Amino acid sequence: MTNFLIRRLFQMFIVIVLASMVSYGLLYIAPGGPLLGLQQQQQGGANRITEADIARIKARFELDLYMPVRFTRWFIGFPKEPITIGDQVFFADLQVGCATTQTVRLRYPDGRVEFAEICATPVTLADLEGRRSSNGILFGDFGLSQVILRDRPISTLIWSRLPYTIALMGISTLITLMIAIPLGVYSAVRQYSPFDTAATTVSFIGTSLPTFFFGLMLILVFAVLAKNAGLPYLPPGGATANRDYIIPFFGLFELTVQAGSFLDRVLHFILPCLVLTFVSVAAWSRFIRSSMLEVLRQDYVRTARAKGVKERLVILKHAFRNALIPFITLVAGILPALVAGAAITESVFNWPGLGRLLVDALNRSDYTVALALLYVTLVLQLVGYLISDILYTVADPRIRLS
Amino acid sequence: MATTLPSASLPLEETNIQAESQWATVLRRFMRHRMAMISAVVLVMIFTASFLAPFITPFGRDTIDLNNRFVLPFTPNSETGQMHWLGTDHLGRDYFTRLLYAGRISLTVALVSTLFATIIGLVLGVLAGYFGGWVDMLITRTLEFVATFPLFIILLILVTVLLENENLIPIPGFILSFVMWITAVTREREAQVIVLVTVVIALLFWTGTARLMRGMVLSVREQPYIESSRALGGSHTRVMTRHIFPNAFPPIIVDFTLGLNGILVLESSLSFLGFGIQDPIPTWGNMLAFAQSYMFQHPWMTVVAGLPILFTSLAINYMGDGLRDALDPRMKL
Repeated sequence: MTNFLIRRLFQMFIVIVLASMVSYGLLYIAPGGPLLGLQQQQQGGANRITEADIARIKARFELDLYMPVRFTRWFIGFPKEPITIGDQVFFADLQVGCATTQTVRLRYPDGRVEFAEICATPVTLADLEGRRSSNGILFGDFGLSQVILRDRPISTLIWSRLPYTIALMGISTLITLMIAIPLGVYSAVRQYSPFDTAATTVSFIGTSLPTFFFGLMLILVFAVLAKNAGLPYLPPGGATANRDYIIPFFGLFELTVQAGSFLDRVLHFILPCLVLTFVSVAAWSRFIRSSMLEVLRQDYVRTARAKGVKERLVILKHAFRNALIPFITLVAGILPALVAGAAITESVFNWPGLGRLLVDALNRSDYTVALALLYVTLVLQLVGYLISDILYTVADPRIRLS
Repeated sequence: MATTLPSASLPLEETNIQAESQWATVLRRFMRHRMAMISAVVLVMIFTASFLAPFITPFGRDTIDLNNRFVLPFTPNSETGQMHWLGTDHLGRDYFTRLLYAGRISLTVALVSTLFATIIGLVLGVLAGYFGGWVDMLITRTLEFVATFPLFIILLILVTVLLENENLIPIPGFILSFVMWITAVTREREAQVIVLVTVVIALLFWTGTARLMRGMVLSVREQPYIESSRALGGSHTRVMTRHIFPNAFPPIIVDFTLGLNGILVLESSLSFLGFGIQDPIPTWGNMLAFAQSYMFQHPWMTVVAGLPILFTSLAINYMGDGLRDALDPRMKL
């Protein structure tokens, strides 16, 4: 087991390094950087930006550094300054980037003329001293947000959104488990009964329904139409209301909901939670049903019945436990789903979670935030795989990790 | 043994019924699945209508008519008297027309990217499963690496990045003109966007097919008929294309239909969130996004804009279900 863990952690590390390289490279080609906007402004006239301004801005966003150096500074926060051992300073003159370039004309002896870009003012390792830099995303420093929360740490942004996502995903997953497992097991035990047929049809529709359409229909019915008709309604989106609102109850009494109160939060929570729950119940109950059907056909279930074990016990103890084994993969998938799993639902309901943060970040070209979220998901996914592998050995003693 | 097989004792003329080909059996079984047949008809209707859009509707795709904004369904135009079957949007563009053109674009993107993803998956899966060894190792590792990435996030990022500098990847002119012809878009930039979204989706979503195909090939490869074909001197290419591929193929059909639905919904979600194909070009997703912003004043808009994707998605899934049952020999119909 220890051996397995060490090997897996090492593999995880390699994958994280490779994947970070790929995702960093992906955003490296991304447009919409700070210089683009300024150059567009420059054409306006009055406030022309000078060469010096460009160099300063480039230095601020590290655009003057070479790609590998930028990557390592983002990834592990290295190099920050020349290496000092004792009084000796090493590599102070090592060139790590280029602040301004110059085009020169090269004339070859045979008469050919070529233009080449050369570095006019190189950036050396000594120049990096005093520049601010992150401690490396590998060590949990995500750097600064550039647009959404200008110059504030991305971790602040993530921590402020995390509770909303965890509440939404956590509670909906709990409700899903409580509904999907009994539903799937019962459908499998009573295969082809009217109940099974109805459940299968509903979950079939649930899995093929686009999430955003389902969300919109719920808003339409429970928020818009209900409100217009004077029925009790639910708020259409957001996590809290801006001002107090009144919900009528069929003319019997009226409920004044204070903005920001617990009741307000609960009311806002219902619709997005309903969407997520319905969609996952549909998928998971089908999964459990088929896995349960598979197990019920096994010899050991027949043996248990032949021994005279009560049917209830056969289903719950012999069949159900074994049917849960493939289910572990699904449960481990919850972890990476934290970030983007609910991105669509969160966007439809304007829910301030991590998924909407990602959508916002990309819409507003805040690529450092998007990159941080991508990285978090990657790590969570790998951790999820590891956990599911370990859970398999717990659930199924036949599987040995070596 | 004293007993003989029942078939051996039958009179000759009764056993001499012409054998049904495999595909005829599948078709016969598929026709028994009522929902799947209805879905197939619905899909054919949606496809035909989308691709005959210019002949069906008198309105232009992007014709703005500010005097007829938010016209309710089944209301004639106040000036020309032409019927707006499904009403008009916030710029007075005819919903029915735009939904038809949107279907043309959404369906093309979904079909083509699923097709490419399936082809990539098929080829890599067959290669990995058939040759094994380092080929398998290489392909499987690549597959696992691609699958490590959270695909939806990567898709969002890639589409944003590529669409903002669409000249980063040169697309051959004939592909652009083909896309312009098939999706009925008029500007080259629109075609470029459509091609990029299609390619990105195709490059990210082949892993499932490859894994499935590899598994199928691994089991088919051990069959005696493969060995005999090799023994008879069949080349690798011949064995792969004539023997392994046809026998490992059926599950891919089901995989294709389900993948098609997944990608259709994915592309709609993408444009619903404001990424991918943008407004003047209609897609089912971005039309729904606009409908959402006018939801409180004009609730009917969301229903109108959302129904095509709902029907198509359900129909494709039912067809996949029917195909699965029809292709599974163990299933009694």
